Amino acid sequence: MSDPGTTIPTVEGLDGKGALRIAKDLAAEGRAAEARRWLHHVVDRSDDLATWSGAAKLLPRLLEAAPLSRSARVAVLGSSTTAQLATLLPLACARTGLHVEVYEAPYGQYRQEVLDPASALYAFDPDVVVLALHDGDVPLPLVSDDPATALADAARPIERLWELLGQRTRATVVQLNFAVPPEQPLGHLGPSVPGSRQRLLLELNLHLPAVAPPHVCFVDCAGLAASVGTRTWFDPRYWHLAKQAVAPRCLPLLSRHVGAVIGAALGLSRKALVLDLDNTLWGGVLGEDGLDGIRLGEGAEGEAFVAFQRYVTELQAKGVVAAICSKNDEHLVRDAFARHPAMVLDLEEVAVVAAGWDDKPAQLRRIASDLSLGLDALVFVDDNPVEREAVRQLVPEVDVIDLPSDPAGYVRALADYPYFATTRLTDEDRARGRQYRARAEAASALAEASSLEEFLDSLEMVATVEPVGPANLARVAQLVGKTNQFNLTSIRRTETELADLVAQPGVLAKAVRLRDRFDDHGLVGVLITRPVDDALEIDTWLMSCRVIGRTLEHAMLSRLARRAVDGGYTAINGTYSPTPKNGLVADLYPRLGFEPVGPPADDGTTRWRLAPSALSVRTHVRLDQLAADTGKAPA
Amino acid sequence: MIDPRLADIVKDVIGDDALELVEHTTAADVDGWDSLAHINIMVAVEEEFGVTFTSDQLGRFRNLGELQQYLAEQAS
Repeated sequence: MSDPGTTIPTVEGLDGKGALRIAKDLAAEGRAAEARRWLHHVVDRSDDLATWSGAAKLLPRLLEAAPLSRSARVAVLGSSTTAQLATLLPLACARTGLHVEVYEAPYGQYRQEVLDPASALYAFDPDVVVLALHDGDVPLPLVSDDPATALADAARPIERLWELLGQRTRATVVQLNFAVPPEQPLGHLGPSVPGSRQRLLLELNLHLPAVAPPHVCFVDCAGLAASVGTRTWFDPRYWHLAKQAVAPRCLPLLSRHVGAVIGAALGLSRKALVLDLDNTLWGGVLGEDGLDGIRLGEGAEGEAFVAFQRYVTELQAKGVVAAICSKNDEHLVRDAFARHPAMVLDLEEVAVVAAGWDDKPAQLRRIASDLSLGLDALVFVDDNPVEREAVRQLVPEVDVIDLPSDPAGYVRALADYPYFATTRLTDEDRARGRQYRARAEAASALAEASSLEEFLDSLEMVATVEPVGPANLARVAQLVGKTNQFNLTSIRRTETELADLVAQPGVLAKAVRLRDRFDDHGLVGVLITRPVDDALEIDTWLMSCRVIGRTLEHAMLSRLARRAVDGGYTAINGTYSPTPKNGLVADLYPRLGFEPVGPPADDGTTRWRLAPSALSVRTHVRLDQLAADTGKAPA
Repeated sequence: MIDPRLADIVKDVIGDDALELVEHTTAADVDGWDSLAHINIMVAVEEEFGVTFTSDQLGRFRNLGELQQYLAEQAS
């Protein structure tokens, strides 16, 4: 690239090496933020260890010049050589928007590091601990006489490590599960023999997640190894030479996935899949070929499109929100979904349908706005390389998945994309598509109502308040981890840390659910206060972006004020800590009648105070009194 | 003269595009060419040149020239 100042390099057709070259050129010109973005393409487009190594070497100075807003301390502990994983993880994590500092435990010392309370691991104070164990470290004979005991003996030391890490740190543990080597003396008999090592390793992979506490999540190395082939995953030469339990050539793949799971654990997964229609969900062009002319269902190509639609619906089932972004006449699109017999995707389950003649970057901005999501929550899928490139250049926050020219490869292209990762499957995840659709519908109801007040009343909103506890901790932790916009303090806590906080005397921790005439939005708000002298200090106050603008915050504060008065507190204190994404609530406290306490801090943090008896706000949300009075959710 | 493909691998792994690489360059001549970097280089060479080294070869080449000569023999 001779003159990057005037030529905009295109991503289409570029490999990881090319992306690294461009990143280096941009870095040399001092364009650190752009250079960092090109390193994302290295992560996406390369499985080559040298390219990844080069990109990882370039990353630190780019992060210094163009910092990321989220950061985390990641400890890597392993039963084999983890040096490359530790080196590549910052690159893999930067791809998800996370700046990580890595601590690598000394070779083979993972048990000692966890057991010794004075170890360097604990001094490092990790947010995430990656436990990279491998099959050879699991003490199993070829055939055990007592399979149940052998399994328990293999699992217990690992469970003990989790337990100690849970007691001594606030870290999320990312546990790598066990790939099973292809060389098995028992051959076909292996899985049939109850005490065989082969079978017990498989059982261990099932047993560990079943007994894992909430602060542990998994990377499915067995699945990754199967996808590349265990003969590639295991390379005895590098094991004998340098104790590499995973073949070095697979380390970029492993790092990419560990990075995605770390990102998911910290709430940085992508949320919405935005789909083109013509030649993406079916073959042909609806506007030209007509309903009977598009290829869907019949023939190899038609079946491939059906398979792709089915995969999309299965992603929806795990909580990915689907939206449509197509240059088409909307009535033709709706007709096709309603009438085509082979259509799998249900338009009712699609949150937003943007079908029109605006350019796709503009449609994507509208979709993000309708869904109240950031552009960095969207993933765009289109068969047309020109559209993909336009989106990459004009809305670079949106992730773009390249589809191959053959639709038979679409499912794999989507499945290989790792940033829809989730670490838990909650009821809210499963219902999310319907909820986002309801939100988009409510947005259009707003267009019809003559006043905002009238609109809000027409929603017939009812909130129920419940204490934060074991029943809702997973969802509360998810909100605490990923809520960016309506979040006053943006204090991120794991499930364990939340459980500890809630157990402290005097702490009031409430979660709120909201339903309206369109939908039940589920658990969408969290408000946690601590007593400080004669005041209640708001430690955490956040709301899901799904329900912003509903006056739910007024209802939450009203209820807190009542509790404060009943408890004899004379003030409610709040802090607003600015982040790049929470400008929405910068003036929340003054709007609610809080008085400023002192001038803003250098970082923009402001402190506020309210006499609870003086609160005067109007809400359009009815509090479910039964639930509010007993503090329990209704049956 | 070192094959640019080979030179690029070493430069990427070491993270220094300004490295002067010649045929008698050894690991000891290059800052950062430790045992880990060595493995990364050999893995990358295997991928780039489509060769598979034996366990013995992985540690045997004395300098870049020897490695390059071996690769040339494999290609011919």
